[in-house]
Amino acid sequence: MTPNESSRSFFARNQFLIYRLFSLSGLIPVGAFLVVHLLTNASVLGGAASFQSRVDMIHGLGPLLVPVEWAFIFLPMLFHATVGFMIIGGGLPNVGSYPYVGNIRYTLQRATGMIAFAFIIWHVLQLHWMGEPLGGGRFDPHHATSSAAEVVAPLAISLLYAIGVLSTVFHFANGLWTQGITWGLWTSPQAMRRANYLSIAVGTLLAAAGLGAIGGLRGTDTAAARAVETRMDDQRRLLEGQPPSPLSGTPAPGRPVPGRDSGAEDAIDLRSGSDLVPLLIPEPAGAVAPTTGPAPLSGN
Amino acid sequence: MAQPRVLVVGGGLAGLSAAMRLAELGSDVDLMSLVPVKRSHSVCAQGGINSVNALTRQQGDNEWKHLDDTIYGGDFLQHQPPVKEMADWGPRIIDLMDRLGVPFNRTPEGFRDQRRFGGTLYKRTAFAGATTGQQLLYALDEQVRRFEAQGKIRKFEFWDFLSPVLDDSGRCRGAVCQDMVSMQFRTFPADAVIIASGGCGLVYGRSTMSMVCTGSAVSRVYQAGAAYGNGEFIQVHPTAIPGADKLRLMSESARGEGGRVWVPRRPQDARDPRSIPEAERYYFLEERYPKYMNLVPRDIATREIFDVCTTEGLSVEKDRLCVYLDLTHLPREELDRKLHGILEIYEKFQGVDPRDVPMKIFPAVHYSMGGLWVDYQKSASGGLEEGSPRNQQTSVPGLYAIGECDYQYHGANRLGANSLLSCIFSGLFCAPGVIASAGSGKKTAADESQRLFTTALRREEERHEALLTRPGGGENPYQIHLELGELMTRVATVVRRNDQLAPAYEEACQLEERWRRCSLSDTGNWTNQNVVFTKSLGDMFPLAKLILKGALLRDECRGAHFKPDFEMPDIKATDPAAQLAEAELWCDRFEENTRRWLKSTIARHGTDGHPQISYEDIDTSLIPPRPRLYGLVGGETVEEVWKKRARKSAQDKGQEKGVTAGSERS
Amino acid sequence: MSTKHNGPATASTPPSTGAAGGEPAPHDSGDHLALPRTIDVRVLRQDAPGQESYWERHAVAWEPNMNVISVLQKIAAGARAQDGRQVAPVAWDCNCLEEVCGSCTMLINGRTRMACSALVDRLVEEHPDGIELRPMLKFPVVRDLVVDRRRLFRSLERVKAWVPVDGFYDHGAGPRISPEEQEDAYPLSTCMSCGCCLEACPQFTRIETVRRDGETEEAFEQRRTAAFDRGFIGAHAISQAVLFNGHPIGKLIADERMEAVTDQGGIQMCGNAQNCVAVCPKSIPLTRSIARAGRAATMWAIRKIFDR
Repeated sequence: MTPNESSRSFFARNQFLIYRLFSLSGLIPVGAFLVVHLLTNASVLGGAASFQSRVDMIHGLGPLLVPVEWAFIFLPMLFHATVGFMIIGGGLPNVGSYPYVGNIRYTLQRATGMIAFAFIIWHVLQLHWMGEPLGGGRFDPHHATSSAAEVVAPLAISLLYAIGVLSTVFHFANGLWTQGITWGLWTSPQAMRRANYLSIAVGTLLAAAGLGAIGGLRGTDTAAARAVETRMDDQRRLLEGQPPSPLSGTPAPGRPVPGRDSGAEDAIDLRSGSDLVPLLIPEPAGAVAPTTGPAPLSGN
Repeated sequence: MAQPRVLVVGGGLAGLSAAMRLAELGSDVDLMSLVPVKRSHSVCAQGGINSVNALTRQQGDNEWKHLDDTIYGGDFLQHQPPVKEMADWGPRIIDLMDRLGVPFNRTPEGFRDQRRFGGTLYKRTAFAGATTGQQLLYALDEQVRRFEAQGKIRKFEFWDFLSPVLDDSGRCRGAVCQDMVSMQFRTFPADAVIIASGGCGLVYGRSTMSMVCTGSAVSRVYQAGAAYGNGEFIQVHPTAIPGADKLRLMSESARGEGGRVWVPRRPQDARDPRSIPEAERYYFLEERYPKYMNLVPRDIATREIFDVCTTEGLSVEKDRLCVYLDLTHLPREELDRKLHGILEIYEKFQGVDPRDVPMKIFPAVHYSMGGLWVDYQKSASGGLEEGSPRNQQTSVPGLYAIGECDYQYHGANRLGANSLLSCIFSGLFCAPGVIASAGSGKKTAADESQRLFTTALRREEERHEALLTRPGGGENPYQIHLELGELMTRVATVVRRNDQLAPAYEEACQLEERWRRCSLSDTGNWTNQNVVFTKSLGDMFPLAKLILKGALLRDECRGAHFKPDFEMPDIKATDPAAQLAEAELWCDRFEENTRRWLKSTIARHGTDGHPQISYEDIDTSLIPPRPRLYGLVGGETVEEVWKKRARKSAQDKGQEKGVTAGSERS
Repeated sequence: MSTKHNGPATASTPPSTGAAGGEPAPHDSGDHLALPRTIDVRVLRQDAPGQESYWERHAVAWEPNMNVISVLQKIAAGARAQDGRQVAPVAWDCNCLEEVCGSCTMLINGRTRMACSALVDRLVEEHPDGIELRPMLKFPVVRDLVVDRRRLFRSLERVKAWVPVDGFYDHGAGPRISPEEQEDAYPLSTCMSCGCCLEACPQFTRIETVRRDGETEEAFEQRRTAAFDRGFIGAHAISQAVLFNGHPIGKLIADERMEAVTDQGGIQMCGNAQNCVAVCPKSIPLTRSIARAGRAATMWAIRKIFDR
């Protein structure tokens, strides 16, 4: 039936496996990271200290942070996005002719996927240190709340974040539901309906966490937050035997990273990963409670 | 010789079962159809398929009784050996279809469920919802696809069979056909050709049949010399939904599952049917036929419905003749399980839920009992000799006919759920004989001189070209078809009269003349449906004429052929002795009529374009003819007399055969 | 009996159309004042593959109980466009006219459905400005409303949608099957290969192969089939695979079917838009079939990876 195995491309021969990996990657690790990330950010609603301590835990990974980021976040996400674009390219949305709920969701899934992709690139460049050459990299892991709050301070930026977060959350929650069909978890129409309620609940929760974080940051008293952060940073330095940061208390954007290239064992680049790796960090049970809040959308 | 190559024309139940059986036996098969075979008209069969089964067997049923019901229901007009063979094969065929995955309805224990159909007292009919024909066809289509994947069957879908190619000895060597997409002609050399093209309902304009049921393939082999049998026997189904484009079938299974036919006793009672009390409803079939009730044979039910509307004026509506077919007393859940398919059709096309409101139905042309005359080889046991090349062979050697387009199994009236059986049976059964025939020819078709095919091809190309180049502004083929359909429906369906049939024959000839002058609105050579239709319309006239001529000449009532001028009288006397005497006279007349008319009508296409009619004796060696007394007033007296005569005749012949006559009306 | 009425059809309904059409009859009846007396019908026509398509307008006389088939029959019989020009009749596919054969699929007012069960009165209610007919988009146009749906049947072959019986000799009855299993299987078995599910599926895209100069018919067919086999098999074929994998004997080649269902263009192409189930004229639970096939594919892939 298949003409000649060798004449078919690798992709053609392994299409099923690739699409299933694509589906899986949307949940693990990318989706799981999203959940942890949004819940971590929501902790800003509990105050600057609460958020800062979570960010510190993530950055406690030290030199492992970079490989972990790439293996569990960036590469899976790039894979998911690449295959995702191929899928989008192969489809012909027809919601105009068939305006059924399922079809609208199908179309939205693709639209939000593309929005999420653009948003994430922008978001990473803006906050992650990798964006520094482009004038981004504005998240300071030692001043998590204050640096993030400064980023989202302009209303337009907040709105863009809101759109990005909602798209990403819809993409994830709706993907959760379709994934259950793809893998055969829910098969009957009734089970699909029940699963639908579940994904709506997950989506609502995450949307609340994401928007809450933006709201939380916008409501932050930056100076007060910076004071808290500086105190925490000094404590940490003290514990590590370092002098207090000369730059503590000053805004983070664009400034050079001291000790980045020093190679000294104490010069662990705490900013290198910003908060990109939260999925590896065990969250204190209380902190994960959804209602306690959203936080900056730094990182991912 | 090399593997035989067989061309099968038609991909319904008969064509598919022949194709797959031929392929299994090692033949190469070309399967040709006007539509993708999965879309054949067999999908419209709804109710089920008959055979004796374990359950009915324990209630006293057997193959002989199935044979007897079929013969009696068909008013003895069919040769009995093929019907015996079919009844014997019935259980095996259902088993085979079961193995092929047909989702027959099941009993709680997991056995096949059965329902009762018209013309029998046993629950012989296996069914798959109310789309049994569709389900059977799909199972066969799947097997054919399996062979197609292996390269043993080649399909030619959207192809039109134009003519058989006969050699100088008159043997069929193949066919000329046309691709209906590219309009290209092509010859198909074959060691045998099987026509399985179904019925000819379109001769009647609107019927329950599909758009491909033009009868064109049959007409083309008839015009090439094949004999046609019993053309005048056209079944009018009692229950159909009237429509502008088609008369949609409402299966007999609706009555088999308990549906009741009635009309309000007050003519055109305007009340909501559900609010009409029982006492004011006229369940005319139940009252007139207390034994079979709503499940009398189709010809009877049709005539009664027709009669109650026309003669008694009790039609539900004034402008449109119809009666109620009522299912509303049955539980919805059961209706959905057993009849969903047909109820959905009613709902979709009428916009009314038949679970809540009684359906309005009226008879419609449904099936052609007649068809191409075919031969058979009788076996010692009274059935057929399997593997004989004579089985299902038309009067043209090497040319076979199976399914609805043969005349063999249903006599003057077909019993419900017997057609699916006859189609699958004739398809499966003919295969070994066809292969034997293919091997018996002196030369195989492949070696046959090219001359035959070139000549035949050129003839068809010329005919086609002539049609396309006709001057414009002539007759409209669609209009002619409309008029033909109205003519045929008016004179050659439920009630037939010589004073109408004779002029109708002339009218048909005139319509044919007009057809010769019709011009095409599409003269292109790509997917030209206009020219394909116009050709098939032209081929309807030979069939229409043989139907009319056969009906005109047959001065009697038999099965679906009802001529009131020649109806057997009721017993009118009330005094028992006088009744007996009258019954004796009645039986004399019956015997005389049997001698005169128990014969197949055989039509041959004359060189002048008119059918040449002759008559063929019928093999009644298994079951002697007896009067069909459904509904006859005084029938029980006739039955008494008849039984006495039959016993005497049996003693005279020194043989014992079960002879019973069924009397109905009390 | 009456001497006037001898037949069913003429007696039951006013003579209107023959089976393949009828002249647009003069029309009167004022009893349906709410409905227009003529219907404006726009047909997207195309003379042959590769040619430009064009719109053509027809005015069709209204009659009671019309469906789109009877509209097309009238257009064929009249063979005149609205402006009076003589035109070739519109070509379209149809056969049973009772929605069991699957022939007459087309886009009616933009939506895929069967022309036979599309009742004109209801269409006019929804779109008072007339009826728009177009060929299906996902299959190559042969002419006008006729499309080539070979690919659909090829998919059935790909998933081996049949019970692999030994042969057609007598071997007694098939396996015992519970009523529940039958009721589960029967709806899937009513699929009439109309192609509505494929037409509405945003993941199913058109594959049109054009014969090259000098290419033999066999070579062309082979190339066309190979092209089909790279494309999505579609909901109908997945559902048939589920049907036969659920049959006691059919499941004997379940692995072969799963191989096909997970091959290139297999179930992974499904995007869960669920249009298939929404447009299926037979209400076949296609998304249930897809989810079941998804589950089977998951198990099958695990087995395939770990059992060897």
